[in-house]
Amino acid sequence: MDINRIIHIAANAGRIILENGGETYRAEETINRICSSYDLIDSESFVTPSIIIVSASSNFGQTISIIKRINYRTINLEKIAQINNLSRNIKGLGYSLEAIETQLAKIDSIKPYSLKYMVIASAVAAGCFTIVLGGDLKDMIVSALAGGMMKLILYYLYSLKANEFFVNIFGGFTATLISLICINLNLATNLDKVIIGSLTLLVPGLAITNAIRDTIAGDLISGIMRAVEAFLIAIAVAVGSGIVFKLWFSIFGGLNI
Amino acid sequence: MIVRNFLLIMVATLCFSILFNIKGKNIFFAALGGGITWIFYSCSLSTFNVDIYSIFIASIAAGIYSEIMARVLKSPVTVFIICSIIPLVPGVAMYNTMLETVQGNVTTSVNLGIHTLAIAGTIAIGIFVITSSFRLSALINKKINLKKSL
Repeated sequence: MDINRIIHIAANAGRIILENGGETYRAEETINRICSSYDLIDSESFVTPSIIIVSASSNFGQTISIIKRINYRTINLEKIAQINNLSRNIKGLGYSLEAIETQLAKIDSIKPYSLKYMVIASAVAAGCFTIVLGGDLKDMIVSALAGGMMKLILYYLYSLKANEFFVNIFGGFTATLISLICINLNLATNLDKVIIGSLTLLVPGLAITNAIRDTIAGDLISGIMRAVEAFLIAIAVAVGSGIVFKLWFSIFGGLNI
Repeated sequence: MIVRNFLLIMVATLCFSILFNIKGKNIFFAALGGGITWIFYSCSLSTFNVDIYSIFIASIAAGIYSEIMARVLKSPVTVFIICSIIPLVPGVAMYNTMLETVQGNVTTSVNLGIHTLAIAGTIAIGIFVITSSFRLSALINKKINLKKSL
């Protein structure tokens, strides 16, 4: 039994979960499950949203530990679903260490949807929300335009690894600016519906959900960290959108030019 | 009207599940979760006329649906729960708070801000209740099985 290798595999699986928007307790559970399915009973893990610490001892009293720092987080729930299935099936299907390593590499290289699909999805989602809120067809088109443009800009900012709060401020800024310009060109009628429809794309749904689920699982540190993250993202969106309004009011003296 | 909104919300949630990189048949079931949550929300809103109650009921429905679907489809609960609560997030309240703050109406903006926080907290409590009870029932099942095997 190669403890070194098992521990590396377990920490790697935990890293993939955390980097792609999984809960903290899920990462801990996965690490412990992988260790125990290779009969590494004496293993402990401690995970927060930014670090993974795993430690295990061999039968001869030799102790090994590993630390992984998580610097960059995205959302890719498909990877989490696959790792979850993999770790539950190790014992039942009798995977060897090599098989697990290749499976993990395969899961880690799953590509997200391409930019084209992301932009179309954002546009359609923003448009649908605008109609549900009570907007008309013109509002829907403007909102879809704002949502799509916002996603395009956010994609490039994220690929530069910009700070998340800065990215969200910029997102709110873009969507509000486009909506205000279109309203004043008489391309749409209901300002609030257009802006709310496109800003819904930036709502921190994942952070809220993970904050709740981590708190229930007893990971209070992670729960508080995620709750603060969600709160700050919401504030960032409001600030980005508020800047535009404030500037618009002070330059033009009202909503209409 | 409700049917139209149900379909629109389902399309919107479907798009959200693409943004969250969900793949395969999970996309459809995540979108259905958003639609079901919306139906519960709009029906209870027209009955009680208080949005906090309606959001509580809808988030409980979202929690139950997601926990059941996660067990049926053998996927993490997060996949379904994130998409299911999307129709409930307080976008309107957030926007109004921001607008009042920018215009300098402090009293109104504080009122609306507390309302926004209350909505977010209500969603959290709804999911909290459901997740905790599902965990509890899993623990009880485990204990019963342990006793049977002895």
